[in-house]
Amino acid sequence: MSNRQDPGPRSGFDRRRFLTTAALGGATIVGASALGGIDADAAFAAPMPSLDPAIAKSTFAEGRITAINGSVLEVAGSYGEQHLIQLTHATSVWKLRATTADAIEAGDGLYARGVDMPDGTIAADAVWVNIVNLFCTVRGIAKDRLHLTHGDGNHAVVGRIVPETTTASYLGGSLTPDLSRVRIGQSAQVLGAWRPADDSVDIARVTVGH
Amino acid sequence: MILDLAPLVCGVLLAVSGAAKLLGRRTAQVAANTVLVRVLGNGHRAAFALRAVGAVELAVAAGLLAAPATVVPGAATAVLGAGFVGYLGYAKATAPQSSCGCSARDEGPIGVRSFARAGAVLLCGVAAAFAGTAWWSRVARDPGWSVLVVAVAAAGLLALSTDLDRVWLPLRRLRLRVFGTPLPADPGGRVPVEATVELLERSLAWQASAPIVRSALLDAWDDDGWRVLRFAGVHEDARGARPVNVLFALDENATADANPSPAVRVSVIDDRTQEVVPVDLLALSGLRRPLRMV
Repeated sequence: MSNRQDPGPRSGFDRRRFLTTAALGGATIVGASALGGIDADAAFAAPMPSLDPAIAKSTFAEGRITAINGSVLEVAGSYGEQHLIQLTHATSVWKLRATTADAIEAGDGLYARGVDMPDGTIAADAVWVNIVNLFCTVRGIAKDRLHLTHGDGNHAVVGRIVPETTTASYLGGSLTPDLSRVRIGQSAQVLGAWRPADDSVDIARVTVGH
Repeated sequence: MILDLAPLVCGVLLAVSGAAKLLGRRTAQVAANTVLVRVLGNGHRAAFALRAVGAVELAVAAGLLAAPATVVPGAATAVLGAGFVGYLGYAKATAPQSSCGCSARDEGPIGVRSFARAGAVLLCGVAAAFAGTAWWSRVARDPGWSVLVVAVAAAGLLALSTDLDRVWLPLRRLRLRVFGTPLPADPGGRVPVEATVELLERSLAWQASAPIVRSALLDAWDDDGWRVLRFAGVHEDARGARPVNVLFALDENATADANPSPAVRVSVIDDRTQEVVPVDLLALSGLRRPLRMV
């Protein structure tokens, strides 16, 4: 058993063990394939209306986190609006990988999907912190980073390779830790976490040859 | 030595950029993006001005190359360089996004490199004005050192060119081809969690659970050949809505390449009581209705 992700205060080893037993014991087994989205890509998709009429319509918020008060994030939206985002233990937090609310810092950028509460806050189902999705060209390759340019002005961006985390997909294949097939001059889609400190990007996934 | 070779370097530089401006097919296009359009009123005059500057550059270059030991061509180059710096300063202050039109090729906005290039012309002109010996006699006297100085100067000017990537890219490619990529190849062959999530999200199980699942991936762990993915959700039944954990278990080695539709175990567990909630996923999602028995 490997504990790659921070288990968080509520889900330690025993809880995982318990949930595994429950998951394998009384599970429904479903085969065959169907369509679906890529998990982190969901941050960029329009909120999907739930099929269940009892669940309120999803709302979506984005901006920079100005303050963190306990489990409430104060967020300044890009168009001058303010959001209060309530995190719960059921809120998923993505910051380069699935992590916990402890990883969120003031100054981070944020996308959140959740439900409007009567008191004006948004109860978040999922938040994606500092997520960026860049269409760029590979200009240089080093041991721990890719040099990229993106946009009309060919803005230079440094994409950092994070051991155990950065994955690559080639020609529509499944994600692999093998990065050795990335070539200079290729067009690449980079999904990653922006680092406000030095304006570089930690790469979660680089997709080439698609 | 450097003073004596300055006319050569500067002359070649001005000849190249002047010829590009005067004779270039795209000069009119480039001129349309410069601040000259606003100063002179319209694009035709701007293009004419840019071509005129090109002609002046060519004339000065001819002077530098033909009469290097005299003061006039060097002084003219310095004046030209000072003019470029002034023009760039004015353009930067009034229209920072405009193209500089410097080498009649680059279209980017005015940046540090544009100023450095204009400053280099100014310095080169001053140096050329103080040249005591013609460059050809200097080259004949010290061929080795002369080639070195010219090469260093050319490299410096090239580094100030915005077309630098055209030089570097093939070199970098060559380095990777010779020495191999520095990036890690498959280290250990463990399937990344993201690949399992991708596989799950293309599965019928995921589509069927869509009405329940609310969060993105909360937690993932491997146990006894299974990879368990935990999501949060809300399940609604006759007793009302309640928070649940939705657990998906897949083969930890499955990838979309080898097996695009693996079996997925789905279980829904009440978040408060920790009891397994019986859910008929296929009926819930409306994907398939059971056939009526006759």
